[in-house]
Amino acid sequence: MDSLFLDFRIALLSLFEHRRRAFFLGAAIAAVTALLVLLNGLSNGIRQTLVDTATTLSTGHLNIGGFYKITSGTAGPVVTEYAKVRDIAVKALPEIAFTVERGRGWAKVVSDENAMQAGIGGIDIKNEGAFKQVLRISSGNIDDLAQPKTILIFKSQAEKLKVKVGDAITISAQTTRGTANTIDTRIVAIAEDVGLLSQWNVYVPNEALRALYQLREDVTGAVHIHLKPEFVNNLAPLAARLREALEKGGYRLMEPDPRAFWMKFESVTREDWTGQKLDVTTWEDELSFMMWTLNALNGLSFVLMVILIAIVVTGIMNTMWIAIRERTREIGTLRAIGMFRGGVVRMFLWESLLLGILGALSGAILGTLIAFALNAAKISVPLSVQLFLMTDTLKLAVAPGALVFAVVLISVVTALAALYPALRAARLKPVDAMSHFG
Amino acid sequence: MNRRKLLSTIATLSLAAPFIAAPALAASKEEMVEILKVVDDRQKNQGDWRSVAYIEQKEKDKVAVVYEALVFRRSSDEKFMILFTKPKASQGQGYLRIDKNLWFYDPSVGKWERRTERERIGGTNSRRSDFDESRLAIEYDPEDNGEEKLGAYTAQVMTLKGKAGLDLAFPVIKLWVDKVTKNVLKRQEFALSGRLLRTSYYPKWQKIFSESRKADIYYPQEIRFYDEVEKANSTLILIKSVDLKPLEANVFTKAWLESKSR
Repeated sequence: MDSLFLDFRIALLSLFEHRRRAFFLGAAIAAVTALLVLLNGLSNGIRQTLVDTATTLSTGHLNIGGFYKITSGTAGPVVTEYAKVRDIAVKALPEIAFTVERGRGWAKVVSDENAMQAGIGGIDIKNEGAFKQVLRISSGNIDDLAQPKTILIFKSQAEKLKVKVGDAITISAQTTRGTANTIDTRIVAIAEDVGLLSQWNVYVPNEALRALYQLREDVTGAVHIHLKPEFVNNLAPLAARLREALEKGGYRLMEPDPRAFWMKFESVTREDWTGQKLDVTTWEDELSFMMWTLNALNGLSFVLMVILIAIVVTGIMNTMWIAIRERTREIGTLRAIGMFRGGVVRMFLWESLLLGILGALSGAILGTLIAFALNAAKISVPLSVQLFLMTDTLKLAVAPGALVFAVVLISVVTALAALYPALRAARLKPVDAMSHFG
Repeated sequence: MNRRKLLSTIATLSLAAPFIAAPALAASKEEMVEILKVVDDRQKNQGDWRSVAYIEQKEKDKVAVVYEALVFRRSSDEKFMILFTKPKASQGQGYLRIDKNLWFYDPSVGKWERRTERERIGGTNSRRSDFDESRLAIEYDPEDNGEEKLGAYTAQVMTLKGKAGLDLAFPVIKLWVDKVTKNVLKRQEFALSGRLLRTSYYPKWQKIFSESRKADIYYPQEIRFYDEVEKANSTLILIKSVDLKPLEANVFTKAWLESKSR
């Protein structure tokens, strides 16, 4: 124990002795750690924004949706007698924080000037607290969505349709029986864009959606299940349990298919069955069409991390080689006065580990501070990037776990990078080392 | 006639009016059904049908697209098929009705998709029923709306309401039928909500002798659809090269359409 403490002390003194070199190397390690923290914060921030926005606007953490087929060739994205379905879910999953019912539709939205196809979300604004928090209303009043035959659209849609709050919009669609129908709605709110989702989503009260598709009172599009925060990262077992409970409740279920509900119309219409089938999906399934952005970002982060670690390893090894060369006589002297080879190795490992820990800690603190500063600055992101990020400002989310990971990773890598030069140093014969001039 | 006698006559007529009017109204509805049957019957071939259809779709701020398609029909078992031949992007695509199902084939993916019978054909504002035999008397109950002048023609106007239990693209139709020829001159289709969705004009009717029926049959050579929701959109259909000779037995099969798509 004493010798370990002695090695540690020698390493600390040695660092202080060569403080100029230690400072530059430590600064480089700190910079790399800060970069790693920022990179992770960016990836985590995008994921968090995506989840927060998407799980409020268009999906729950888990969803019970499905299709009702009157004939085998006509499929409506509805859940009949949804209260029973919701009760089964609440009983099966104590992890549920709350549930909301959302109508689903796909229709033509027509103004006097223009038209567009859009996903129609039916909502009950009185029960949608989080919805109001996520959306930033640029004009109108979101609470007016409680009034019948009203509609909320997004800014870019308002520009395309050339409409403003108070204007009328017609929604035209086919009912579940294939009969043409329309509803006339009044724009009560225009929200700021929230990325790709705001390109094709509009919201109307659930009653308006039912009138358009001629649906009964006990019919909805999907039951969105929002989980308590501690359970949102482990959805697969919860989805499996939910499927089992619904099957026990006598419901027919669709095969698990990790795609958004609107991507399933084609295959469902082709299938030869009638009646109700339920579908359990996760938020990742419902946003599968844009998950590639997250996967690409994660892939990029990994590549950058590998490059950064390679830089650290090369830097440390190089510096250690130089240090050993400079300190060959010192090594010889230490060996001559009784230090074992293991002691020499430990001394150099302690040195680099200490340097790594100090550098990584400083880098982690620096990275966190920069992340805070960037968040506070509310930096705007380009429109094309907004489409995928579903936010108009850059957000970095530095998770404590990611900080610990970065510090441990960089420290361990730094220590390991010094291992080979330390072993080489330990192999030097004291006589040769002492007579070394370099 | 003295005053008392006049009042008594008016009172008697007033009391009798509902009984006199009722048979007149009933007769009027039957008359409308008869007119509808004639409208359908004049277009009924009772055999096979082959024609070329040109569909021009105009939409606001978009370049007009012209489609060319072959239309095949068989009256005996209500078979129906459309095969697109132009433009290149749509070449080989087709719709085929088997029993009560309408199937869509896209050669670029090589897959058949089941579609609703009320689907817009090729994304235009035309429906399958616009190319098929007229079945108005079977699908709708008519109501007399009197007569109206449409240019040089005197038209019988009627409102058609979809019969219960039938899945129809348009639940309500207003129809203008030429009093003399019984050809449809104009048609307006409404949504369930009562909103007018589409107005169609039938300016040209053509007759052709049907061997299978041993009589002349009539078909609209030109149909113009005006979208009443998206006001700037319109569709023009021209029906040419009608041929009523019997078609091969295997025409109305998926395999035949696929073979023509290659």
